[in-house]
Amino acid sequence: MPKLYRLHRAALYAAVFGTAVAVVSTVSAEEIVIGAATAQTGGLAPYDQPALAGLRMALDELNAKGGLGGKYTAKLIIKDTRSDTAQTATVAQELIDAGAKIMITPCDADPSISAGQLTQPLGIPTLTLCGSAPVLTAAVGDVMFGTYPADNVQATAVADFAIAEGKKKVYLLTSPDSTYTANLPEYFGTVFEKKGGAIAGRGTYTMGQPDFSAEITNIKNLAEQPDLIMTAAYEPDFPAFIQQLRGAGVTIPVYGADAIGTPTIKGLGKLVDGVVYTAAGYAEPGSKLEAFDAAFTKYAGHAPESTYEVNGYEIGLILDHAVKTAGSDDPKAIRDAIAGIKDFEGIAGKITYAGTDRMPLRPVALMRYEGGESKHIQTMIPAAADVPAP
Amino acid sequence: MIAQQIINAVSLGGVYALLALGLAIVFSIVGLINFAHGELMTLSGYALLAALVFGLPFPAAVLVAVSCGALAAVAMERVAFRPMRGASVTSLLLTSFAVSSLLKVVFQNGISARPQAVAMPDWMTGAFSFGDFTIGVGPSISIVVSALALIALELFLRRSVTGTAMRAAAEDFNVVRLMGIPASRIIATAFLLSGLLAGLAAMLWVAQRASVDPLMGFTPVLKAFIAAVVGGLGSLPGAVAGGFLLGIIEVLLQATLPAAVAPYRDAIVLSGVIAVLLVRPQGLIPAVRVQRS
Repeated sequence: MPKLYRLHRAALYAAVFGTAVAVVSTVSAEEIVIGAATAQTGGLAPYDQPALAGLRMALDELNAKGGLGGKYTAKLIIKDTRSDTAQTATVAQELIDAGAKIMITPCDADPSISAGQLTQPLGIPTLTLCGSAPVLTAAVGDVMFGTYPADNVQATAVADFAIAEGKKKVYLLTSPDSTYTANLPEYFGTVFEKKGGAIAGRGTYTMGQPDFSAEITNIKNLAEQPDLIMTAAYEPDFPAFIQQLRGAGVTIPVYGADAIGTPTIKGLGKLVDGVVYTAAGYAEPGSKLEAFDAAFTKYAGHAPESTYEVNGYEIGLILDHAVKTAGSDDPKAIRDAIAGIKDFEGIAGKITYAGTDRMPLRPVALMRYEGGESKHIQTMIPAAADVPAP
Repeated sequence: MIAQQIINAVSLGGVYALLALGLAIVFSIVGLINFAHGELMTLSGYALLAALVFGLPFPAAVLVAVSCGALAAVAMERVAFRPMRGASVTSLLLTSFAVSSLLKVVFQNGISARPQAVAMPDWMTGAFSFGDFTIGVGPSISIVVSALALIALELFLRRSVTGTAMRAAAEDFNVVRLMGIPASRIIATAFLLSGLLAGLAAMLWVAQRASVDPLMGFTPVLKAFIAAVVGGLGSLPGAVAGGFLLGIIEVLLQATLPAAVAPYRDAIVLSGVIAVLLVRPQGLIPAVRVQRS
């Protein structure tokens, strides 16, 4: 047995080193390796995969035109993080060893930060697909960039809308299990209170919790009934919460953010009527986003599920622009070029990094589910002074 | 408010009891903790979704889904566990983990990593009102179905020959075989029953959660395991008692803990489990004969 075990190990080492050597040797001068440490399985996969599909489409198109900056053929190496923070660090290291000069990380703060711990000392620019926690760039350092509208920006947009609607009292439902679910409703609360609203109560849940009945009974028995429930819960917790909430006869409107802009939530039909959420853009007739949606459908064989696809595509455009500006494939020069981007014409709107802490300034679209359809309410960039500090 | 929370607790406890019972039935006969029990639930959930997509009326779809759970359990025994018969507890445990992981990957890659919405009929989201007291249709169904399933199982085990043989097998399998009852039939029936219970629990679970996802079996099997251990591993009445106890504690804590302590809810529940086991190491209602292999 031990001998067999040694043999296995030897074979494994041989395989690992063999692959590493093979990968390194295929990197030619005109290639730039982009490492994608993203979730192909597990809870983050439904978010990472659409975003990655958009990025792939952009890179395919750019490569057909000569590559990033018209010069460097983009070589995308994808490794599965299994939605696990520790595994994300492992595959990020493998990607660095394979020569990655740009790193793409999952749609969540924690795994993105773990990958960032490895890329920061090497100066490798690192972009999260749709991780939107504004604390994530500061937690890593100057190589880390967000790409999706930040949580505090999204929350401000929803709060502005709720105030404009005349909402007065909000109940905040948070989960301490992730930065997104913990902080986004609190950002909302901060803005809502500042603009004259009140917080009627707070509740917490555990991600994956089977039963919300006790929480819902508490909401029903609040002395002051809220006229709005704000949460950043997403699937499968959000469907469970709203099913049990409506099942208990509570009709208070529920608002959320980008993570409930998915086919799963839309598929709940009448159950989610009136639910307000956010997106990175809205495909108005004749807009660039509408053209992108058509092109993506042709590329992937199905329509985009959300705005994560276009966000991934825009990452490709940002990288192309940055490599062009840098004029080289030097990671540090590319990083500086991204950080200097101002009013870059993306697909869903203008993107600016200059003057930010590397979370982009970009428009937020407010959406609402009505009769099983997504309806556009408005697109806005909240006033910078209103956005709460991370 | 207290009455409302009691209903919440009984409703959740009932689902946990069904789940724990599913684990306990198999354990009492073959000494296997089937960690793939959760995947039987997932499978039933997808079967429900598929049946609804194909346009079956809701009751028929539920019937199809529950039968799928039961048949899948029998198939699982035939393919994965029968070749391992007589193997050590550890080998069986690892086999069940392997089946569980394998099925999760198959669901993720074969169906979708994204949860699928299951739109429940409108009447499921309704509620009855008695004055200022409301009880949802969902929790009521949970309570009724759990109670009926427990009674039906009890009748089967007490009144039928196979049921009697199963109870005997739980105490001493070899003697039952000497009586001329085929081992394979007893074991297959145990899996069939556990699959039925998984299917029923899945329906109640999905009705409350409105979606099916590849990883959805993880939490319920964990809860079922805790409930079965607290109740007394291998003891059927113990599994039911453990399930209700777990449900009641969870709802009670969720209802009463102040917001600052609420995130530690699961830790507090598990500490309670350890406390119970310190006082009663064999569980609340220990099995007649503790299984060792």
